Amino acid sequence: MRRITIDKLEPGMILAKPLLRGTMVILGEGAQLTEAWISRIEDMEIESLFIEGHPEQAIPKEEALARLDSRFQHVEDQPHMKFLKKLVKEHIEGLYGG
Amino acid sequence: MADNIELQKMRAKVEGINTLPTLPSTLRQISVMLEKPRLTMDEIARFVSNDPALTTKVLKMVNSAAYGFPGRISSVSHAIMLLGLNVIRGLLLGISVFELMQKNMTGLWEHSLACAVAARYIARQKKMKEPEEVSICALLHDIGKAIVMLQYSTEYEQILREAKDRDICLYEAERNYLAATHAEVGLWLAQKWRFPANLVEAIGFHHQPQSARQAPLETAIVHVSDILVRAKGVGFAGDLFVPAVHPATWEMLQLSEEDVNAILTQIEESASMTKEEI
Repeated sequence: MRRITIDKLEPGMILAKPLLRGTMVILGEGAQLTEAWISRIEDMEIESLFIEGHPEQAIPKEEALARLDSRFQHVEDQPHMKFLKKLVKEHIEGLYGG
Repeated sequence: MADNIELQKMRAKVEGINTLPTLPSTLRQISVMLEKPRLTMDEIARFVSNDPALTTKVLKMVNSAAYGFPGRISSVSHAIMLLGLNVIRGLLLGISVFELMQKNMTGLWEHSLACAVAARYIARQKKMKEPEEVSICALLHDIGKAIVMLQYSTEYEQILREAKDRDICLYEAERNYLAATHAEVGLWLAQKWRFPANLVEAIGFHHQPQSARQAPLETAIVHVSDILVRAKGVGFAGDLFVPAVHPATWEMLQLSEEDVNAILTQIEESASMTKEEI
């Protein structure tokens, strides 16, 4: 899930949280945005929406993995740290789509 | 002996923080208020409600992912009812220290917030009665850093430089320049502000969880949350290294691969959502 501003909405994006006005649900969670809906949302004085998917990453994947290695450099041989690093590595790779 | 005198001197200085001219005024008011032996819900609610900016910040925080009541809390008294006095007291401190953190160590607030998210997840997983309280411990675990940076700014510049030049963690570098580390300073402050014993221990012992006597579980959760957040590389806590997890503490929590994965994902999501918070 990530929050994006209204000007970055594109058809096909999926709502990760319902769009509410007061307590009324206007579009439910899981709704796929169409161009018509986006133009109506633009008229609604809403700043941002939650949509499915991971946010764009600020740095390239290679850089992210290199920094991971550097963060763990002093502790890799300590108990449990290899296991932890492996999980974080998988998580980071997942953020870049595998 | 000399060490002991230095330690007492430092403690007295830290405890005298309210008289520091450079202390942001909201933080001073909150610090003075929290020292009162009997602080009622009404008093806190009134204090917060009298300050519109503070009210907005409190409501933003309690409605954010870190506290799990998204979009449902609309008033300060409602927040106090749902979260309890200790959580609100901690939140007020967290919010007022935010400004200091932003000014003196870019990334420390993101680090603290991500720790709060991780701690809440683990506390719920462990079926603890007050997961929000554990989350507050995590939010405030580095409060000592913010205060030491303010009171010992020259020393702290040296500490940061030494940590960077010698490739060591901040906690280690602190010992070379100060009588106490940020964790001990956090412990003194938590006592001064009359936090319950479990919060005091979790803040004071987050680098040595084996020392916790009354709140081993809370302390373990803050210790592990700190490490998970550093492992993922969210925010900045003064150095770029993941410290080794205390083995018995890690084993005590029995986190599965799925748990760790879910925690990392939650940190990722809340980091992208809370960027503009406060």
